Amino acid sequence: MNLWNRLMCYSRRRSPWLFHMNSGSCNGCDIELIASLTPRYDAEQLGVRLEGSPRHADILCITGPVTHNAVKAIQTVYGQVCGPKAVVAIGSCPATTNVFIDSRTLDGPLNRHIPVDVFVPGCPPRPDAIILGIAKAAEILSERASKKLPLDPPAEPVCMCGHSSDCTTECAAKTEDREVLL
Amino acid sequence: MSILTMLWRNLWGGSRTMLFPARPKVSKGFRGLVRFDPALCTGCAICRFRCTARAIEFKAAKGEFTWSYDPGQCTFCGRCVEGCKTHALSQDSECPPVYTTIGELKKSYTVARKPPAPRPAAAAPPAGDSQPAKSATGDMQ
Amino acid sequence: MNLTTALARLLIFPGLLFAVPFAWFFLWVERKAVALMQGRIGPPFMQPFFDFIKLLGKTTPPRNGIGGLLMKAWPLIAVSAAAGAVGLLPVLPTSGGFEGDLILLLALLELPSMCIIAAGFSSRSIFGEIGSAREAVLSVSYNVVFLLAIVSIAASQHTFRLEALAQLPATPLRWLGILAILVCLPAKLHINPFSLPNAEQEIYSGPMTEYAGPELAMWELSHGLEWVAATGLIATLAAPHLTIWWLAALVFVAISFGVVLLLSVLAAATARLAIDTTVRFYWQCTLIFAVLAVSSALFMRFRS
Repeated sequence: MNLWNRLMCYSRRRSPWLFHMNSGSCNGCDIELIASLTPRYDAEQLGVRLEGSPRHADILCITGPVTHNAVKAIQTVYGQVCGPKAVVAIGSCPATTNVFIDSRTLDGPLNRHIPVDVFVPGCPPRPDAIILGIAKAAEILSERASKKLPLDPPAEPVCMCGHSSDCTTECAAKTEDREVLL
Repeated sequence: MSILTMLWRNLWGGSRTMLFPARPKVSKGFRGLVRFDPALCTGCAICRFRCTARAIEFKAAKGEFTWSYDPGQCTFCGRCVEGCKTHALSQDSECPPVYTTIGELKKSYTVARKPPAPRPAAAAPPAGDSQPAKSATGDMQ
Repeated sequence: MNLTTALARLLIFPGLLFAVPFAWFFLWVERKAVALMQGRIGPPFMQPFFDFIKLLGKTTPPRNGIGGLLMKAWPLIAVSAAAGAVGLLPVLPTSGGFEGDLILLLALLELPSMCIIAAGFSSRSIFGEIGSAREAVLSVSYNVVFLLAIVSIAASQHTFRLEALAQLPATPLRWLGILAILVCLPAKLHINPFSLPNAEQEIYSGPMTEYAGPELAMWELSHGLEWVAATGLIATLAAPHLTIWWLAALVFVAISFGVVLLLSVLAAATARLAIDTTVRFYWQCTLIFAVLAVSSALFMRFRS
């Protein structure tokens, strides 16, 4: 890998810009995400910036179990984030819908709709755990670029009802192709 | 003027930031990961009943049972710990770790059932007729 | 002033080679100073550089047609205008900067905000339009004071040449002009309390909403270069007249650094003001500065 590629990988790890999106959360995880920018935890020491537009961000932080109304919004915003990108699911809700597992208004865990890279469990997770999750996502971004992979698609599409990859029901996760720039 | 004195004090008083990756200590009653002790578990499955998020799964079989716990599903409410009669469950003061695949943190334990407690030997003969006969020990399942 | 010295001044000092690292340095100083005053640590030293490199490596959404071409062009125009403004500054004692006069300097200083306004409108997003409208209102409001202050300083010297700016006599007019320009700087540089156009919570970063990747890197760079140009303007007005060139350069950097710190204190101490309060501030409170500057210039001109 030449010098420019190495510099690019290093810069991707050192400059994670976030966009935060709430897909029906109780706001507990959102508050803890904002708390991670306060003086005690100070995510800015890692170069983290909370951006106002999804086009500016690298890492999409999503909270909340995905409600029906939020699915389209999440897919749109995920499409608007410019590659290379990573997704962090903050809290137990986006990973597994947590206590809302039987709810009729939800549309399943987050990785049914977009590929998720890091899960930060907790209800709500502590701000230091969120910062760890963001740092891990930044590392993943930099590793992907260094290995020039077409972004690890999951080996088997993860399906919460336990089916395999030839599952024809809607719950097979979509792997969108995300390009790696270098 | 008070905002400027505040800024001044912040500037010279040093920052109160914890340098990454240092993490602050959690408070005393912090409810973290649930820990399971197979030696104490009797397989009553009260924890599965009380769990609010269905993080605990319990499968009963002939001579054994399987108890599994998924921290990703857990909401760390502590009802399972409260409900366990034998204190086989306890909650860590440790935050659950960050993971990258669904179900990565799930842990299963297969516990052989303990043999039922031996019946007490024929006890002292009943003192009088008025005393009702004590039944044998209830079967523990 | 021959071609080589002109090119050296435009490209090396105080031109592009000096201005770009100093743009990143001043951006870092502002973020770090605000963070320290808020009780945090703040970003590490090379942070704006890493941001720039990372942005260069991101993809951009496809831009079609003339609108797309314009969208790609505005950040480049903004960067070159800001870099040109820095290159024009009469920092070094002999024969000023690159050959130009005050009108050119003012035009180049204005171009980045014109580009922001145009970019918001050409990006065809609602948030861009709102942000550009706010930036336009802001620009009209602070430019009255800004331009009147500079023009009155120049008029008092009877010339529009840039060397006149560098060799101002120490009259009250000079300090009045510097004060007027200092008051306009927060609006020019989009920092609190006048950081309206790129309000992140309210309008999703305003004019920059649709920008991504290398275009955004150019916008960040032009923002940094605007810092250097604006603080450099104050530095050239305030610096004493020195003949040793490296001493003059050092004093220039030191005074710019001081102005950056002052503006960081202001940014940390205030919150974002709404548009009506901002406009009222610039038209009611600061217009008095402009009036004073113009009247003292006229007074000095008629006296001399």
